[in-house]
Amino acid sequence: MAEFLANYGFLIVSMVLGALLGLSLYLPLMTGQLSLASPGFYALGGYIAAILSTQVFKVSGGLFPIGLVLLEMLIAGVVSGILGVVVGIPALRLRGIYLAIATIAFVEILRILSLNLDITGGAVGIFGIPQPFQTPLEYLWIALPLLIVSMVILYRLERIRVGRAFTAIREDELAAGAMGIDPTYYKVLAFTLGAILAGVVGALSAHFLNTWNARQGTFDASIVYLTSVLIGGTRTFVGPVLGGMVFTALPEVLRAIADTAGLPLWLAQFLRDGRLIIFGLLIVLGTIFFPQGLVTPDLLKRQRHK
Amino acid sequence: MKKSTFLGSALLLAFASLLSACNQTNSGPNATTTANPSAGAVSSNSIPIGIALAQTSNVALLGQEGIQGAKIAEKYFNDKGGINGTPIRLVVQDTGGEEAGAINAFQTLITQNQVVGIVGPTLSQQAFSAGPIAERAKVPVIGASNTAKGVPEIGDYVARVSAPVAIVAPNSIKAALKINPKIEKVAVFYAQNDAFSKSETETFQQTVKDQKLDLVTVQKFQTTDTDFQTQATNAINAKPDLIVISGLAADGGNLVRQLRELGYKGIIIGGNGFNTSNIFAVCKALCDGVLVAQAYSPEHPNEVNKVFRTTYVNQYKKEPPQFSAQAFTAVQVYVEALKALDQKSKVTAMPLPQLRTELNKQILAGKYDTPLGEIAFTPVGDVIQNDFYVAQLKVDKDGNNGKFAFLK
Repeated sequence: MAEFLANYGFLIVSMVLGALLGLSLYLPLMTGQLSLASPGFYALGGYIAAILSTQVFKVSGGLFPIGLVLLEMLIAGVVSGILGVVVGIPALRLRGIYLAIATIAFVEILRILSLNLDITGGAVGIFGIPQPFQTPLEYLWIALPLLIVSMVILYRLERIRVGRAFTAIREDELAAGAMGIDPTYYKVLAFTLGAILAGVVGALSAHFLNTWNARQGTFDASIVYLTSVLIGGTRTFVGPVLGGMVFTALPEVLRAIADTAGLPLWLAQFLRDGRLIIFGLLIVLGTIFFPQGLVTPDLLKRQRHK
Repeated sequence: MKKSTFLGSALLLAFASLLSACNQTNSGPNATTTANPSAGAVSSNSIPIGIALAQTSNVALLGQEGIQGAKIAEKYFNDKGGINGTPIRLVVQDTGGEEAGAINAFQTLITQNQVVGIVGPTLSQQAFSAGPIAERAKVPVIGASNTAKGVPEIGDYVARVSAPVAIVAPNSIKAALKINPKIEKVAVFYAQNDAFSKSETETFQQTVKDQKLDLVTVQKFQTTDTDFQTQATNAINAKPDLIVISGLAADGGNLVRQLRELGYKGIIIGGNGFNTSNIFAVCKALCDGVLVAQAYSPEHPNEVNKVFRTTYVNQYKKEPPQFSAQAFTAVQVYVEALKALDQKSKVTAMPLPQLRTELNKQILAGKYDTPLGEIAFTPVGDVIQNDFYVAQLKVDKDGNNGKFAFLK
């Protein structure tokens, strides 16, 4: 067990972070808004933590205090939240594919900024980020509670008035407006909540990855997380959590399977080198056979009635 | 409808297995040593050395060149008797192009494959991410293609055999001045989204200033760009006598092509990104005459390089690229350090943590005669290398055959 944890500690935490990012994409989707801005806020949160921990909070020797990490996460959350409102109000006047394009543009702007500013270290990025923990696995102390709290909040959110309003807007924005729901308010709210979550996760990831640069949270990353949410399921928060975890783990699981003793050489070779082909194949098959995602509300209901 | 989707997936599967079959044949006689998960401590029958390079993603070209070099080294040193009779065994893990991939590969190599040391990762940015993992686990790492500032400083266990850009790059400007002493105005281009090009251009610009040349313009582009008309025109309007480009093969090659098409006649210097034969496919005859500084020359006269070069040419039908030579060198450093250690006390009998620590000390203490020439390490683990080269691209008129011709 200890060996397993040492081996896969990094992956387990990555899976939790993947699930959190999935949730941050799911929040705007609750109101039916296809936003790809989450990775931008993720990158922003990471830069905030990276800059603060390497330049502002100078800790000499030993481990970086956990309190400061939490403070960075708080600051990242607040900044992302404010920026979320500022970006959300104009951007959310757009719908569907136009909103997606606008949010991609937002992510690009942040990326180009980080490439050109001195404080973000240009293309090399920021390295030597101090560590609050001895082993990667210990990041679970922060990541897991964060995931549980987010899931509890989302569980409640789906059942109170605000969440119902989100769903109403998702199903039919005009009808929801006619019922007295202010679509702009709720859409910006959902978008901002997603932004805050992404920013907080980014701040933690910067420490977790030891280094932060402009390649984090790019357009490619948006697509990967969007895929994981869509395959996981977009109708209940369990879907993105599952999808985020599975899709973060998949390339590494395939690597582990490839290392199993006794496999024919060509199969092991294929599992190792062709990991991404299998990854793509699963996405194609997933969208064909599970158009609603793996986890749908019906599925959860059926489980309950058994 | 259902039937056709099944058909589609079946086709995809067939295609995928075909691809894997291609991979198989390509690996040639030196088939991959499969990772052995059950390997405990260093067994008496082989000593595992980890190779964490990119086999997938957009940096796979560089990673694969590295793996080719490492595999040649594995066979060469095992044929010579390995570590005083015990063969070495390479365990290859793919890092992909991402930071997380590099950490996962390192983690697997350290805890599961139980390697004595690691060669890699491919990118400097990945090194910043995965280096601390090895540092904490006290496992020696030798970077074979990390040239950014700060890599050896990650920790005591992180070293590199790839000379930093600050040392390699200025040589090509000096060579250009030798060819044309009248050079005054210099235009600089760089790919601003590439970490390597960014740090390389800083070195180039500093050299230009140190040589009392006039830096007339600095133009930025992205590695993903294909159209450089604006930047090229801007630069040509400043009438430079010399153009210095830091970019990767695809974008840099296209930039050279467009500069020549727009009528620029002066000397062009390419950065380390041009250091691959893939460049010839991009700019064909138009990149004839481009100068590139290199940390490796296939013509280096020592014995080990002659064998390396011959093996590489026989296997891949072209001259060995720099990354292959550097990966070979990294494996060689492990082999020679292990040999030296083995003479003091049997390495196969040593517990793994102790072996890793001792090995790291031995690596930094030794001197090695490698394909790169004679090298040693500074106390922080940066490479001390004596020989650097400047090559000029020579391409046929029809643009089909290109090679790097080394300037004296």
